[in-house]
Amino acid sequence: MTSTSKQTSLQRSEKVHRVLLGKQQILVTEDEPLLAQLERAGIHVEYQCREGYCSSCSIKLLWGHVSYPSEPLAWVQSGYLLACCAIVKSDIEIAFFAN
Amino acid sequence: MSYSTFNRKHFDSTKEPMFFGENVNVARYDQQKHPIFEKLIEKQLSFFWRPEEVDLSTDRKDFQRLEEHEQHIFLSNLKYQTLLDSVQGRSPNVALLPIVSLPELETWIETWSFSETIHSRSYTHIIRNIVNDPTVIFDDIVTNKEITKRADSVSKYYDQLIEMVNIYNTMGLGTFNIPGKGDIEISMKALKKALYLTVASVNVLEAVRFYVSFACSFGFAERTLMEGNAKIIKLIARDEALHLTGTQHMLNLMASGKDDPEMATIAAECKENMRNIFIEAAQQEKEWATYLFKDGSMIGLNAEILGQYVEYITNVRMQAVGLDTHFETKHNPIPWINAWLVSDNVQVAPQEAEISSYLVGQTDNSLDDSDFDDFDL
Repeated sequence: MTSTSKQTSLQRSEKVHRVLLGKQQILVTEDEPLLAQLERAGIHVEYQCREGYCSSCSIKLLWGHVSYPSEPLAWVQSGYLLACCAIVKSDIEIAFFAN
Repeated sequence: MSYSTFNRKHFDSTKEPMFFGENVNVARYDQQKHPIFEKLIEKQLSFFWRPEEVDLSTDRKDFQRLEEHEQHIFLSNLKYQTLLDSVQGRSPNVALLPIVSLPELETWIETWSFSETIHSRSYTHIIRNIVNDPTVIFDDIVTNKEITKRADSVSKYYDQLIEMVNIYNTMGLGTFNIPGKGDIEISMKALKKALYLTVASVNVLEAVRFYVSFACSFGFAERTLMEGNAKIIKLIARDEALHLTGTQHMLNLMASGKDDPEMATIAAECKENMRNIFIEAAQQEKEWATYLFKDGSMIGLNAEILGQYVEYITNVRMQAVGLDTHFETKHNPIPWINAWLVSDNVQVAPQEAEISSYLVGQTDNSLDDSDFDDFDL
């Protein structure tokens, strides 16, 4: 007998993408948002709500593609991503402050 | 142009700009020009809380054990926050409701302002609990120079907009001589500029001005002191983060020109003013930190660290409204604060304390047979 939750876990994507941050390179998957994966890699990212409404974790997206499972409440400036809810979909390069 | 509480004209509200279009008539939420404001209302309603839910009995004992300079820090922050929420509990309503043109935005403004009144009520709850005579604290808010200096900065844009809209609603457009004030020009452009600067100043109030107080409250709680207060501040910080998103959306929608093309020009012209509002607020907050710690610091926090935090958080907030950052500080000097600012990390035993994003009566009606696959009888 299979349950829906088990099926979901089996369907976890094996896709791994590179995140470039200055001279650092971090490998991330599509299984969870970028913020948690950056934190596990020891990178401090500003955050507050962790559910997409406060925009504290807004990070510059220099190139590459991310997607949002559901549209965040915060305004996402063009060229930025919201780390707490963005799923990385390709290799990307990010930076903390634009200027 | 005089305000009507029920505009008799027949028009499509989804074609109106956010402000200075038709007065709203039917409060309907089935269709929205900007659905974000409807979503913010729903989120804010799901956050509803009452200060009395938080038990403060230990805080009273903690407060009596604080050193005198620590009591000064704690009480001064409470006074400042009381000022900020006194302004915020009424001003969005008084300033913005007479000129708003979208039903969803009108209700967001009311919902937003209402939540600020809960914050004010929570300060009374806290103050009543730790001092015998709350009047001494409340009276100082209107006489203490350090507080009143800030009152000028947080209310002047609101007051100017309210004055201009009052003239506009009675006299219409033109230049009018107001006794004691001289000639005041009321043009659509001047009104929209006053509006833009007001929203910018409110954004700064909620984005920057609260955070020195927040840091101190959580600084005490890190030492397991005043933990009831910290719990209340957590709830307030969660609300403020949402309000902040509301003004960020207004500013960014205005600047994009998608809502009202003339606002895009005004936003571009006001960019430097908005930068200066951020920088001035940051400067005042740094001075506030110096005032707080004039008789001594508290463990883990001093005026210099808090000043760096102000610079850092100002940079983060400037970036969110499309401005270049101003300060050199690019790292958070007190990263531990984020663990306190996040909403749902201390609720280990729901029966002992409120769950901070508890939705009353939320049930899932979309059950499918497969949801019971795990069940064996």
